[in-house]
Amino acid sequence: MQMVNMVSLGIFSVFIGFLGALTGLGGASILIPLLILFGIPVKVAIASSMISIIATSAGSASAYVRDRITNVKIAMFLEAFTISGAIIGATITTFIPAVYLYFFFAAFLLTSFATVKQITGDYIPEVQQQDSVSKALGLKGSYYDEARKKIVEYRATNAIPGGLGMLVAGLAAGMLGIGAGAFKVTVHEVILKLPTKVSSTTSNFIIGMTALAATSVYLFSGLLNITLMAPVAVGTTIGALLGGRILNRLNDKIVKILFYIIVVLLIVQMLYKGVTSL
Amino acid sequence: MKNVGSGEEKLETAISYLLISGVALSLTLIAAGIIFYYLYYGNIGLSLTDQLMYIHGQDFFNFLWRLFMPDYSKPMAIQLMTAGMAVLLVMVYLRVIFSVVYFIWKRELWYVLITAFVLVVLTLSLALH
Repeated sequence: MQMVNMVSLGIFSVFIGFLGALTGLGGASILIPLLILFGIPVKVAIASSMISIIATSAGSASAYVRDRITNVKIAMFLEAFTISGAIIGATITTFIPAVYLYFFFAAFLLTSFATVKQITGDYIPEVQQQDSVSKALGLKGSYYDEARKKIVEYRATNAIPGGLGMLVAGLAAGMLGIGAGAFKVTVHEVILKLPTKVSSTTSNFIIGMTALAATSVYLFSGLLNITLMAPVAVGTTIGALLGGRILNRLNDKIVKILFYIIVVLLIVQMLYKGVTSL
Repeated sequence: MKNVGSGEEKLETAISYLLISGVALSLTLIAAGIIFYYLYYGNIGLSLTDQLMYIHGQDFFNFLWRLFMPDYSKPMAIQLMTAGMAVLLVMVYLRVIFSVVYFIWKRELWYVLITAFVLVVLTLSLALH
């Protein structure tokens, strides 16, 4: 007998959608362990949580795109790499023992702390000298930051290394069956040098598409439970809509601190899975 | 002032409207489905053992196609929730199609190639499972 019903699961999902919308992490990494804790079989939990990624992505992106915080051009450039990585990941996952993947991705997540010093200040990356590819593709933008009360201008750089980073993020998504939002936000900030809010919102925009590709696999496998997905979809969408309304008013520091808290939990989760799989 | 920058406003507005209307429609269908579920079954518990509650044996496009086929064996509640879920999934696919059309219209060759590549790979991954 499960510990939850549709209403309580919907309420939990509001919180997950809210956090996912603010941090760009999708929310499946939080939802899956929670569902397992509630007595849902692991495979059903993983499959059904894909809908939470899509709902978070769609719910929050509707506001972020309208407010021009999400950079649609950068997202589309990076999606080409992410979807390729996801397909490769799903293909090679049968050849590589998962145990190595957990350690690899825990190490990869640690790179997100490369920008940790910046949370102590009110940080916006310097307007970068763009490489030729970033320049040719027009990977730049600006948005009105309500917390700062000013227009923030930015230019992405390192387009190809950033694309390759997103290929790795796609690999993580394809191999581990997660949205890999943490990897994506890390690539956006560390390699492409995007501002915090642009990183998390652009990641949110992209993960919906990656999750859709994964959902097709689960449609075929018959693991998508409608009574589980329905409250999760409603809850995460409402949470994401709420998150989408307040992100622009929040200080970058708060967004980053939330992000780092969840990343630490994810690293612990990855290491635990790796060690217990040895 | 919110519109600052680089002239992609039309694409962004179109995507934003698509997502907002899709999310609203999806939420309405799923919420109605949950209410019908309660009225039909008399509870709102999760049903993990009843195979009727699982979507299976089909790829994405087949899943969408079957939504238009009347299935009298399934209660209205299940059909409404499934339809709401489908709207959410279709929206993501539609916004990729929107992007390709937009960049063709704007004649931005690099972005036509990039978005068309994403659309082709996504379509194949959705169709081949």
